[in-house]
Amino acid sequence: MTAPLLDVEALSIEFQTPSRKVRPVDGVDFAIGRNQTLGLVGESGSGKTMSSLGLLRLVPRPGRIVGGRIGFDGQDLLALSEPEMAALRGRRMAMVFQNPAYSLNPLLTIGRQLGEIVAWHERLGRADAEARVADLLGLVGIADPGARLRQFPHELSGGMKQRVCIARALLCDPWLILADEPTTNLDVTIQAQILDLLRSLKERLHTAMLLVTHDMGVVARMADRITVMYAGRVCETADARTIFRAPLHPYTIALLESVPRADRAYDRGRRETLPVIGGRLPDMTHPPAGCRFHPRCPEAIAECSRVLPLATPVAPGHVVSCIRRGSASIPVAA
Amino acid sequence: MGILRFILRRLMFAVVLIVGVSAIIFFLVNAIGNPVAMLAASQPNATEDSVAELTRYYHLDQPAWLRYLLWLWNLARLDFGSSITYNQPVAQMLAIWGFETLKIQIPAILLALGLAILIATIASRRQGSRLDFGVMSTALLGQSLPAFLMGVLLILVFAYWLGIFPSYGAYSTRTLLLHSSLADGLWHMVLPVAMLTFFNTATLTLLLRANMVEVLRHDYIMAARASGLPERRIIFGHALRNAIIPVLTYLGILFGLMLATAPVTETVFTWPGLGFLYINAIQQLDYPVIMGESVVIAAMLVLATLATDIAYVLIDPRIRLD
Repeated sequence: MTAPLLDVEALSIEFQTPSRKVRPVDGVDFAIGRNQTLGLVGESGSGKTMSSLGLLRLVPRPGRIVGGRIGFDGQDLLALSEPEMAALRGRRMAMVFQNPAYSLNPLLTIGRQLGEIVAWHERLGRADAEARVADLLGLVGIADPGARLRQFPHELSGGMKQRVCIARALLCDPWLILADEPTTNLDVTIQAQILDLLRSLKERLHTAMLLVTHDMGVVARMADRITVMYAGRVCETADARTIFRAPLHPYTIALLESVPRADRAYDRGRRETLPVIGGRLPDMTHPPAGCRFHPRCPEAIAECSRVLPLATPVAPGHVVSCIRRGSASIPVAA
Repeated sequence: MGILRFILRRLMFAVVLIVGVSAIIFFLVNAIGNPVAMLAASQPNATEDSVAELTRYYHLDQPAWLRYLLWLWNLARLDFGSSITYNQPVAQMLAIWGFETLKIQIPAILLALGLAILIATIASRRQGSRLDFGVMSTALLGQSLPAFLMGVLLILVFAYWLGIFPSYGAYSTRTLLLHSSLADGLWHMVLPVAMLTFFNTATLTLLLRANMVEVLRHDYIMAARASGLPERRIIFGHALRNAIIPVLTYLGILFGLMLATAPVTETVFTWPGLGFLYINAIQQLDYPVIMGESVVIAAMLVLATLATDIAYVLIDPRIRLD
């Protein structure tokens, strides 16, 4: 196999304030091949969004990347200078944000704020830049793009805004799109449209995608490979088929069981109850010792709180970090 | 069409406001006393005849309501009457003294806006740093200090101790007598402009910094960064544009009330402007001047509010008139 487009190794992000230290991302590994879609799945607060901001080196203060390597097209992004990194943002790696209502500047027309980006990266004049924006708006399925150029964000619907945000990410033909919960804030019918749009665009433009979501249904439709995160660490990475058919990590299994299914009747007490994962995400200022999932894990043993499981290959392309599945581990300092 | 109707409606409101304000002030001044009697008391050799003539000339023998209506009638024809103590047309006085006031007030507001943008931008980007803390403390201090105290301190240090700048007046006596000099005029402006600028900058900086901190947290700023735009353009083209919107209101108030706040500065620096004139006119019960200046202050406030509303519409596409 050729080298993947993106290869993240042991990425750690830390927030340090005078009183405490938090690591929302702690030694995370994942990789994305060219034209591939990786679904990054986990509960809110598991470090998915922070990981994707980390890829762009845009972790908000006082957070910072404290370790790891981000290989992108053969170079280490953490070794780049800030101007080199800025030249890459929006051009080689672009992001679609969670809430389209807030991710467009309310004071600028669509043509102006998207045109500005193309004009900057490609050194184009205003007219050429706007022509490019109009092309992209057409590509993401917006009717009458010429008229939309002169409209302001508040004049567009939510779904339309998200299409504009997708167009913004695609302006400079990026190699990788980071989509952070791109459909979470949209109506269900619009969600399906946006997902279909993302998938078809990805096919046509040969772009790779990191799809960050908490929705197993979304990754099932979209992802080639899936990485499951819990409390800042990776639990399991495998092909989408493997994750859905033969998940290994207890957290992955629990996550899949907690997705309601249309072919089952859930009725408290009588037939079947929708399984839930008991407890809640740990307080990240004091994460549990050892495996972070062990306090909620049905298969936990005493050993789980004493050693930190390491991501270990169990089959080609399938990595699990759980000592009950034979993962390697290191003892934690007592 | 909408904007013209909006402006017209505001101007009609201005007329109502001016009639109301002027009526209140007219009857208040009238209740205090008779200006000619005060003038006569200060002139030992005033004859009874001249007092009677002045009283008739200013219609002081007529009832107050009739004099008010007369004043209003003249105002409608843009005739502000003439000053009792200076014996000059009030309109001409307002123009001459008003120029001196605007000369220090407008530079002080514009300078403060520029400084506030600079300081607030730097401080908000290092939120929580020592620099930010220092800026905030200084601005808070500047805002809570009485304005005249700053003026007195400036005079003490720069005029009395260091002797660099003059402590009073808009021109040197010598310049007034011999020739006009731009440099001399500017030299006299430094301390009063500095005092006003300090005060205005403090408030504008606090407001703008708070808005900048909030705006910088927005997703569209992160999105602009993720698009690879240069920081300079994110701050000035995206963040500042959004952060300045709430500040427009305060800026409008500064412009609208600059004549109303002028008395403090102009008393401290003995500055020959409208504020100084206002205080003098009140002491002399020179009601044509008091009335004329009050009308101008009310009109300024209405115009500034109108300009603020129009600025909102121009900057923020989400806001519409009416």
